[in-house]
Amino acid sequence: MSVLKGKPSTRSVWTGRISIGLVNVPVKAYTMIKDQSFSFKYVRRDDACPLKYERVCTLDREVVPWSEVGQAVEVRKDEYVVFSKEELDALRPESNKKISLRKFVPLSQVDRVFFDKSYVLAPDKSGDSYGLLLKAFKEKGLAGVGTFTLRTKEYPVLVYHYRDSLVLTTLRYSDEVVDPRSYEDLGKVEEPSREELDIALKIMENLTGEFDSTEFKDTFKERVEELVEQKMKGEVIAVEEPETEEVRELMSALRDTLAQLQKT
Amino acid sequence: MEDLTRVRFTNLDKLMYPGLRLIKKDVIEYYIRVAPRVLPFLRGRALVRTRYPDGVEAEGFYEKDAPPGTPGWVRTHVKYSKSADRDTSYVVCDDLDTLLWLANLASLELHMPLSMVTDTSKPDFVLFDLDPEPPAGLGEAVQAAVLLREALDERGVKPYVKTSGRKGVHVLIHVEPVHTFRQTREYVHGIARELAAMHGFIVSERSQTNVPGTVLVDHPQNSERSTMVAPYSLRAVREATVSTPVAWGDLPSVRPFDHNIFNVPDLAEDPWRDIWDEPQDIT
Repeated sequence: MSVLKGKPSTRSVWTGRISIGLVNVPVKAYTMIKDQSFSFKYVRRDDACPLKYERVCTLDREVVPWSEVGQAVEVRKDEYVVFSKEELDALRPESNKKISLRKFVPLSQVDRVFFDKSYVLAPDKSGDSYGLLLKAFKEKGLAGVGTFTLRTKEYPVLVYHYRDSLVLTTLRYSDEVVDPRSYEDLGKVEEPSREELDIALKIMENLTGEFDSTEFKDTFKERVEELVEQKMKGEVIAVEEPETEEVRELMSALRDTLAQLQKT
Repeated sequence: MEDLTRVRFTNLDKLMYPGLRLIKKDVIEYYIRVAPRVLPFLRGRALVRTRYPDGVEAEGFYEKDAPPGTPGWVRTHVKYSKSADRDTSYVVCDDLDTLLWLANLASLELHMPLSMVTDTSKPDFVLFDLDPEPPAGLGEAVQAAVLLREALDERGVKPYVKTSGRKGVHVLIHVEPVHTFRQTREYVHGIARELAAMHGFIVSERSQTNVPGTVLVDHPQNSERSTMVAPYSLRAVREATVSTPVAWGDLPSVRPFDHNIFNVPDLAEDPWRDIWDEPQDIT
């Protein structure tokens, strides 16, 4: 079971069009993946003075203003080749505001290890042509393969029907994904005995279930927020030993058993 | 964590059953989940544990005494030990916290005496320990148990059965603590001899222990100093089996390793539910 609970964005990150042959459909892309990891601000501990980063020359310790910052490649130790902005712009892919779909494949044919980030493609301006495209994707059940340029980077992408919308998923390049078999440790895996295998299979059978995305929750953020509230109220915070995942699971089992023992 | 238990859990990620990647947390969780079923059998008894601090693939050790560092809230029973020639204090596991404290000490196997500390000389359980000698195995022990049940049935006695978690089968009769161990031992011996006379594969004497393909009804297990692996105790074998009470109807289909740490907590039926309500008359 998949439950999607991310909050929708108010602004799209990209506008352009999907093109298939001569058909062009204006779309805008909204982020579909909302990173909810918690991040702290850095401050001076004593007086909570917020800190900022500065670019400092490693030789004379002078602060370098953005207007003087360039980009370079270190070719040998302490030897740099510097690029101008114009040179870099010329190298970068042109954002042609177009997702050209050149091929259609079954989604299952694309190895999921290539999947990176997903975006919702919504109709831009008129929804007629979008509706047509959506219906066609839905009926055919195939994913379009093409490329897409976001900011300064070009990505291979898939476009497919998902929950009454067109979704775009960026893919990793071939040289960004490691074949597990290229790790030597895997060459040393020993063949198990039949008995061992039978036990393992039995355990798996016993634990077979359904995937439920709601079973997992990042509780760190919630706990930080609780603590912030307490701190704002001026409560003294007793530092407890961090409970490990294991202890939490035991406590949950313990609650069930205590309830059961109370009943009898 | 302090609200739910007085036990401070330690080294929860220590491997206990390396073959199954089971850690101490899994062992404690198991005992938490079966506690309502196992505690009635441990209550009021001096418990013997087999501890495996480094997991089942390393050496384990028997422990009868309350170890150093036993918390004050753990009930102990002090008794003179003839073999050690001194007073020994035993652990009595009356509650969940004590059970979890023992589990945290990697006490994988829990062994219970057949009598309570109130009077250790008067058993409240009569045990038929059915021990197969290879090539006999669990199948033969089950066969012997079924024959034994018929014999007890004829006497109007209702027995209960559990697997030992290894190859054996334990048949138990719950009685009022009015007999001596000598009496229960003779009772078991008498029936064992009867069965042995009728069925070639059943033997009744320890001197016949090594006869291949036989099942020994080990009557001397009915003694004040002997213990039996408790119902629902884990076994320190690679497969993490459990000594599991089974219904007589299910016994013939039981296979080795059927009952283990993974599935026993989820068993819906308790085939021994009525054991305490019906003490049997064996006179």
